[in-house]
Amino acid sequence: MYRKIIKRSLSNMRDSYLIYILACSFAIGVFGILLSMGGNPSLHEAMGWWDNFIYELSSIMSGLFAFFAFIYMIYVGGFFIQRQKNEFLTFEKLGMPSWVIVTISFFQTAIVQIIAWGSGLLLMVIFQKFMGMLLLYLMRIRINFTTSFDGYTLLTLFKTFFFSTVILSLVNAFKTVRILKKKRRKVNVKTRWWLRIPAGIFGIILLFSAQVFTWALFTDIRMISYSSRPINEILFILLADIFGTYLVYYGFLPTILNLLQKIHAISYSGLNLFSFKYLKERLFQNISILWFVTELSALALALLTFCYFGYQAVHESYNSSYPFELAANKDTVQFIKKELKQTDAKVKGSYKTDVKINLTSYYNKNSSTYTKQPMTFMSYSAYKSLPKRMHKGNSKIKANEFLKIDTPTGLMYRDQESESNYNIEVKGAPMIAKAKSGHAFPYGGSMHFGPMMIVPDKYYQKMPAEVNDAFYGWDFKKGDRLQKSQIERLKHYRDAYYMKVNFKSSLKDSTVEVIKKAPKQYDASVYTQVGYLREGNVKKRFKQGGGFYLYIVALFSVALLIALGSVLTLRILLRDDYQSRQLRTLQKIGIEEKEIKRIILRENTWTFLIPIVFALIQSYTAIAMFDSGRHISKNIILIFAGYIVLYGLFGIISYQVSWRSIKQKFRL
Amino acid sequence: MQIAVKNISKDFGKKKNAVHAIKDITLEVEHGELLGIMGPSGAGKTTLLNMISTNERPDHGQIIIDGLDLTQLHDRDLAKYRRNKMGFIYQSFELLDSLNVKENVILPLALSRANKKVIEERFQYMMNLLNIEKLAQREVDELSLGQRQMVAAARALINKPEILFADEPTGSLDSKSATILLNYMQLINQKEKTTILMATHDAFTASYCTRVVFIKDGVVFSEIINPGNRDKFFEQIINMQRTIGGGNYFNVSQNY
Ligand SMILES: Nc1ncnc2c1ncn2[C@@H]1O[C@H](COP(=O)(O)OP(=O)(O)OP(=O)(O)O)[C@@H](O)[C@H]1O
Ligand SMILES: [Mg+2]
Repeated sequence: MYRKIIKRSLSNMRDSYLIYILACSFAIGVFGILLSMGGNPSLHEAMGWWDNFIYELSSIMSGLFAFFAFIYMIYVGGFFIQRQKNEFLTFEKLGMPSWVIVTISFFQTAIVQIIAWGSGLLLMVIFQKFMGMLLLYLMRIRINFTTSFDGYTLLTLFKTFFFSTVILSLVNAFKTVRILKKKRRKVNVKTRWWLRIPAGIFGIILLFSAQVFTWALFTDIRMISYSSRPINEILFILLADIFGTYLVYYGFLPTILNLLQKIHAISYSGLNLFSFKYLKERLFQNISILWFVTELSALALALLTFCYFGYQAVHESYNSSYPFELAANKDTVQFIKKELKQTDAKVKGSYKTDVKINLTSYYNKNSSTYTKQPMTFMSYSAYKSLPKRMHKGNSKIKANEFLKIDTPTGLMYRDQESESNYNIEVKGAPMIAKAKSGHAFPYGGSMHFGPMMIVPDKYYQKMPAEVNDAFYGWDFKKGDRLQKSQIERLKHYRDAYYMKVNFKSSLKDSTVEVIKKAPKQYDASVYTQVGYLREGNVKKRFKQGGGFYLYIVALFSVALLIALGSVLTLRILLRDDYQSRQLRTLQKIGIEEKEIKRIILRENTWTFLIPIVFALIQSYTAIAMFDSGRHISKNIILIFAGYIVLYGLFGIISYQVSWRSIKQKFRL
Repeated sequence: MQIAVKNISKDFGKKKNAVHAIKDITLEVEHGELLGIMGPSGAGKTTLLNMISTNERPDHGQIIIDGLDLTQLHDRDLAKYRRNKMGFIYQSFELLDSLNVKENVILPLALSRANKKVIEERFQYMMNLLNIEKLAQREVDELSLGQRQMVAAARALINKPEILFADEPTGSLDSKSATILLNYMQLINQKEKTTILMATHDAFTASYCTRVVFIKDGVVFSEIINPGNRDKFFEQIINMQRTIGGGNYFNVSQNY
């Protein structure tokens, strides 16, 4: 008989269980895949230099993933027990000993868990290859990914399966025990106005103060570098946001519905009489879930955005440091050309630009001092004749304008438009009154010891030079193909020459002395001109790292989304018995199906809309303040939109499924 | 003639263990009739009422009300029709747990968007009439079964339906409440010409009817018309119940 009871309750809630099992098996599949990546031979072959790192990373990631998945399972698994409350209480009334009921709930959970693991492992086997190939593709590694599962992975999977299933089943059994002890059938929630309204107002104050503090935080981060203040502020903001949202939900959601209900003109017309009360009941039950989903969505959105910012910043600074795959100066060009001839590298383009090195002096805003230093000068037309990507990142200049290219001071705060340079003295040439600013060095930042200046052609021709040099750059199809031994030889040419600068009080008297040999003593006045720059490896690593990063972020955000969406969906689906019976009653007393459908639609809309709106507001304000509203770029809007679309998809599915489950009961 | 039921049948379940709830029933109900439907448990009374009241569709046959063939209508139109014309007292009451008594009772009026004054007036009237004013602000799940039945009756009658379907309306009532309700039903039947179809086991309740149809195993077994004398009618009903079997021998109301 117990088997029958279990079977029946499983089939009664099959829609909900299906969603739960799908979500769980996704989590289990991803967990298994992450775990097995660590020992995968193709990955180790592909990323030799990552070797141990892969292993550690995959176990950390899978551990993290498993932890969150487990919390999810405990949390959502409880919904099902809650749903069966009435059933269990009836069993008890009919004289079934409570240990039997508890056993039933234990095995029910265990069976669902076993099914979820079964399909999860199946997913893992099917998709491991796909996920692996995706990873390799994102990392731009062109080798085949072989499916493999090592013993360690299998053992860990089995252990995880066993313990998690036992623990989950025990937790649910325990929940059943508690239900049997409490024995209340329907909880009538009281609206305590005197408590809710002040709580809600306090919540608003908290939220508001969180915004103020966010603003303060970002100014602080810019101003103070080492202080515990930002940390404290972050903590406060997190807590204020989290509790503020809860209090606002707790205080205002029921109050608003109550208010509507009190206005008889509204509530006495049509189905509102019922639907307000019904929605209120549902929202009451779901406040903590709405809150939970709001905060996690906000977190996910903010995380995605900051990851994007981080990635972009790194990507930009990478691009501005390594524009050519291989670069040389006039001292090393002969040698490099010779070496290149011995390889089968296909040169896509080669460039040469003459530069002058001269002494300059100007007021440095960042360090608030007058700086004297040598600078590399390039003419406007030479600059323009380089490939477009070399100047894309810099401010646009006209033929008669100046552009000073410098390494950025921070990763995040860049605004080239507003950042101009004034009154730069140049030895033996007219003072430059104003220069625009940029951060992308042609030939790469490492080719220069200091800033670079793009000047009008005429200025360039007339100006004197302490040192005359020329830069060379190459682009290849599929890399430079230099052999290991060649690279060894190249290392001798890393430094082309050294410049010892004798600064005097006036620029006119200062001089530069070129030294071929490395000086015995490096001091602040010695500048090094690099002989060559090879980015091949760095580029590869960068792309691999970036790909990996994208992979992980995408995986986590998709998982988070699935978890959040399914929590809401399940919560809507698992109405208490009496709640779904009421909808049937409505139909019996002559309410059109359309209107009942509208109630379901409203319920779904509110449940999904409230969290996402709050989450968007919270994460958007954080980002907007962080960026002072300057470039909420297209891409961020795209990220948000993508998230909303996926989330909305869950809303629609949830609406469809919940309507279907109601409709089943109608049977006209 | 207001309601014409022609050769309807209804099966439940799949082929092998199908239940033929209604096999072949033909029935005509005049405008302003108070028709009783009797028969043993499982005879198909509820199923018959559900089909006439368009809550369920028959597998075969036609149901024509006021010249309109309801079996041809779309679900959507049926719901509208049901709401505007019919009132129901269900065997299982079908009250909404989320709402309190007052809200339950006024729901039909609210649905037809009556104005607030009318709603309050009608509500007071019904509650006084059925002697349940005290229950107005109570929650449904705190009520006794009999109280629930009265509330369900109040809800069914509040918007003066043209046709009232009552499935065991006195099943859980004490004799006093039952008499109040039945008298009121008789009153609206006579004064407002409300057509009433009532399923019952109880001979006393059935004796209020103008005609009683007996069904057994999904077919009409026989029918008795009220000769105008309740005592005699009651006697006839009891006899018929004996003939059919499965009726209510012992629990004949003493109140009569
Ligand atoms: N939803 C259903 N599914 C399957 N069988 C049903 C369903 N509803 C009714 N039946 C069957 O149809 C037959 C007639 O049922 P119905 O409820 O009409 O009986 P009844 O005359 O109202 O009985 P009672 O006097 O107990 O109310 C019964 O055999 C019953 O089991
Ligand atoms: Mg019945």
